[in-house]
Amino acid sequence: MKNSWTGGEAATVDVPAAENLALSVHRCQSGAFERLIDQYESALFNYAHGILQNPFDAQEVVQDALMRAHKALTRQYDEARCAELALRPWLFRTVRNLSLNKRRSKRSALDRPLDEFSDDRLGPYVRSERGGADSDLARRQDAEMLQRAIALLPVDARELIVLRFMEEMSYAEIAKTVGSTEAALRGKVFRALRLLRDALEKKGVTHAM
Amino acid sequence: MRCRTALTRVDALRTGELETPEQSSVDQHLKTCRSCDESLHDVENLAHAIKALALPSPRSFRDIAPHDSLDRIGDVWVAFSRRGLRMISRCSEDEFRVRYAKRYGRALERAELPENLKKQVTAALEGEGVEKPRLDIEDANDLEAKVLASMSRIPKGEVRSYSWLAEQVGKPKAVRAVANYVARNIVPFVVPCHRVVPASGGVGKYAFGSKLKREMLEREGVDVERLEELAKEGVRLIGSKTTHIVCCPTCKDARRIREENVVPFHDIDEAIEHGFRPCKRCQPFAA
Repeated sequence: MKNSWTGGEAATVDVPAAENLALSVHRCQSGAFERLIDQYESALFNYAHGILQNPFDAQEVVQDALMRAHKALTRQYDEARCAELALRPWLFRTVRNLSLNKRRSKRSALDRPLDEFSDDRLGPYVRSERGGADSDLARRQDAEMLQRAIALLPVDARELIVLRFMEEMSYAEIAKTVGSTEAALRGKVFRALRLLRDALEKKGVTHAM
Repeated sequence: MRCRTALTRVDALRTGELETPEQSSVDQHLKTCRSCDESLHDVENLAHAIKALALPSPRSFRDIAPHDSLDRIGDVWVAFSRRGLRMISRCSEDEFRVRYAKRYGRALERAELPENLKKQVTAALEGEGVEKPRLDIEDANDLEAKVLASMSRIPKGEVRSYSWLAEQVGKPKAVRAVANYVARNIVPFVVPCHRVVPASGGVGKYAFGSKLKREMLEREGVDVERLEELAKEGVRLIGSKTTHIVCCPTCKDARRIREENVVPFHDIDEAIEHGFRPCKRCQPFAA
């Protein structure tokens, strides 16, 4: 007979606990740091690239950040701190700080805000006719324009665009990463989007993406 | 709700990050305001397009993960690098990894010990070890390095006191600090920290239990019982009537002194007063 108390069903279902990667790295389990790298390196690279707009600098920053993360997790942070560490925002914050340091040390001309530029900075743009075999090309051109428009945003707008739309972070996570509040970030993301859209509209790229 | 307020919340609405009351009031507004509703689609399109711009990392950073190698001999874990031996311990693999990470901040990968290193370590574990394996202990501080070097010079079958070791490394007053480094010896067995014993008698403490320390010393040919007897009488040094040389009790030369010629001393000053000179091999300046 089945036990009427439990209804014969297992009361709890074993869900494999998501690995606490920070803790695994702290304990130096084999392959843990490699897993961390596999999981985050592309996202971190995109973020650094979003801030610096230079793939070589971005690579350097990501490597530095990963080395620092490894050192901190294995040698500097104790077990408790690793256990409650929000790994993703922490890694992004490291990359952010290092990127901003790097940017400060070599200010690039790209960092002037968009409205100071003549529209030509976005390059000549020829809109091809809609439809047919050209629509693929049009889309590619649109993507290129979008990329350039993002590159010309002021850096604080640019990083929010990357975090929110490329990495698809929640506002709560972005708040942890850049050190702000969710409400403030909603406004900032909105303004960043508006800047981006205005720039695109001036070039005739509309909502076709 | 005004358009300005609604517009800043459109993106959060898209991903369902608004709290329920706020969400319903934004929803309400979108139903009545066409331009705001359009901007929702607009944001969706842009988000989609931006997401597609993400690049793969141009280079994998997997190779920056620093690691050394790990192997086991019997029940002993041995960590090593290409340059030499880095750590030895008798504990669980996980515990070993954690301790290794604390000390060196590096991970360990299982690998096979190179043949010559393996031979040397095995010999050391069995209490033989003529040829010392190469060590690669990079971040030892000055004192620790000196302590390890001096300990390595204590011959098999002999023991020295902690104060003797402190004297050897040039810090005669820092016996405690020196003893701490002995206790923390990162390569036990290979660097014979078990050959350091308290001057007050007995074999003293050991990371893997004093019982093992005693067994190891006995296996190496140390007469532990005689040492204890001497310590009980307060005898720290032994001199020879015929040569007027004074030695540590376990010194190879002290063990050759005939019974009738043995002169016990409490300390080196007493011996020198009686016209004895310290042995040049075991250097009993302090004992």
